[in-house]
Amino acid sequence: MALLEIEELRVGYGFPVLMGISFEVEEGETAVLFGLNGAGKTTTVSTIAGMLKPDGGAIRFDGSDIAGRPPTQLVRDGVALVPEGRRVFPALSVSNNLRLGSWTRRREQAEVDQRRQLVFDYFPRLAERADQAAGTLSGGEQQMLAIGRALMSKPRLLLIDEASLGLSPALAKTVFQVVKRINDDGVTVIIVEQNVGVLPYADRALIMEKGTLVFSGVGDEIRNANLRETYLGGGSE
Amino acid sequence: MGGLFSERRSLLIGIGATVALVVFLIVVGEEKSLVIGLTQGSAYGMVALGLALIYKSSGVFNFAQGEFGTVALYVLYLLDIKGNYWLAIIGALAAAGLMGFATERLVVRPLFEAPRVILLVATAGVALLAIGVELWFADAQAKPVAKAFSRNDRITVFDVQITDQRLWLIVTLAALAVLLGLFFTRTNLGLAIIGASQEPTATELVGISVRRLSSFTWVLAAVLGGLAAVIAIPDLGSFGPGAMTSNYLIPAFTAAVLGGMTSLPGAFVGGVLIGIIQSVATSAPLFQDGGELAIPGVPSTLIVFVVLLVVLVARPQGLLGKRA
Repeated sequence: MALLEIEELRVGYGFPVLMGISFEVEEGETAVLFGLNGAGKTTTVSTIAGMLKPDGGAIRFDGSDIAGRPPTQLVRDGVALVPEGRRVFPALSVSNNLRLGSWTRRREQAEVDQRRQLVFDYFPRLAERADQAAGTLSGGEQQMLAIGRALMSKPRLLLIDEASLGLSPALAKTVFQVVKRINDDGVTVIIVEQNVGVLPYADRALIMEKGTLVFSGVGDEIRNANLRETYLGGGSE
Repeated sequence: MGGLFSERRSLLIGIGATVALVVFLIVVGEEKSLVIGLTQGSAYGMVALGLALIYKSSGVFNFAQGEFGTVALYVLYLLDIKGNYWLAIIGALAAAGLMGFATERLVVRPLFEAPRVILLVATAGVALLAIGVELWFADAQAKPVAKAFSRNDRITVFDVQITDQRLWLIVTLAALAVLLGLFFTRTNLGLAIIGASQEPTATELVGISVRRLSSFTWVLAAVLGGLAAVIAIPDLGSFGPGAMTSNYLIPAFTAAVLGGMTSLPGAFVGGVLIGIIQSVATSAPLFQDGGELAIPGVPSTLIVFVVLLVVLVARPQGLLGKRA
């Protein structure tokens, strides 16, 4: 059984945006959701994370239907979203951002300390800036913090919306490498991306166009499909 | 680091302005105004703390803040007649908290997604409704309210006697400023309220219900409004419908703006400064009829509005606030 099953998912904002998409993500995979602006990628992950209510279809996480559950419940269930634009708490320190990330586990202090150490192992830069206000971090550091904050809730499924947006190619590569490490440590990951540089780290690729899924493939299917030329208009590295 | 530097600089500006004013008043022989202003300003500061708390957490200027206090006074009046004064105080604060909770649930929450100006008007509606109910209940008659502490001559500073009731107010405000400061920097709940005020979406995404935080914040602010009323008003001896709105809301609003609107220490400093400025304008010979700075026919209490306008034009982020 797949960890996440999306079936005929329909979502709209008064007008249809997702027109009945279906896909699955196996436990332990890194799936990448590609598509041009307006394809419906952010709507898809926002709906999975409970920020939007679906108009129809099913979202099953570990066999349970989670469609329409609020994000506060889904975080407890093991689903965490790193939103587009990072959305760190700017006036709070890096440490306090991570502390709020552990809200659902705040009564398990040993677990919280362990998670914070794990985040600092993934992103040593955050440990150096632990007392610094998040709003004063660089864009790359804020992305690291946003991912670290999501990891504090000990998710089984991590959704990252536009992981490399606004980052230099070198910094984007660093973020992708850390996401791969997080995945290797057992967290299932779905990354929304426009940067095909993430492909080497992907187990599964999903390509969206105008609210529909036009490609879904794993392993060699991804490498043989020539995704950049066929679907992404040349893409960006 | 720029943010931290800016925060420290703002704090230094606030402390510097207060110290400069204190030194100036001592030099020009207005020590009495200083002491009277400090006691009066403490009440403004406590109401301003509630205003800043709600503004900080939800971006709303709460016109009903004064009436949380007036309702508490009516409950204190009713319960004190029948029994123990301190139990009456607790009942009064509970009533204020209940009103804050009801306001959040019945007015603020249904308008959660509405523009802030709609919420602002809605809180004004709550205040007017409360005043209407008070008029109906009390028939516009002033009601007596007893002091918790009756001794008036324990402490004299610069020839001004500070009543025990006023001392209680000053100590409570200082303690509240410290406790709230610790609450917002050291506790998960306090950090969550700050987080929700900055990034409500991210707050939900870490598993925190922004709506539950909102209820808590309104109850806390309402209890602060109630506390200001049950400590400050008994020194006056009586109160009537809309007492806290008419006597304290505008100076407290000015104090919160002067302090920075989102800054809790700023509300404290702003309250004390407004109290002192108002006291000087009311009692200093310079501003009295025949004084060098007197404007014939214009009440000196208008100084509060002058300060409000000057701050809004010259430093809209206030002394301790941050530029938006």
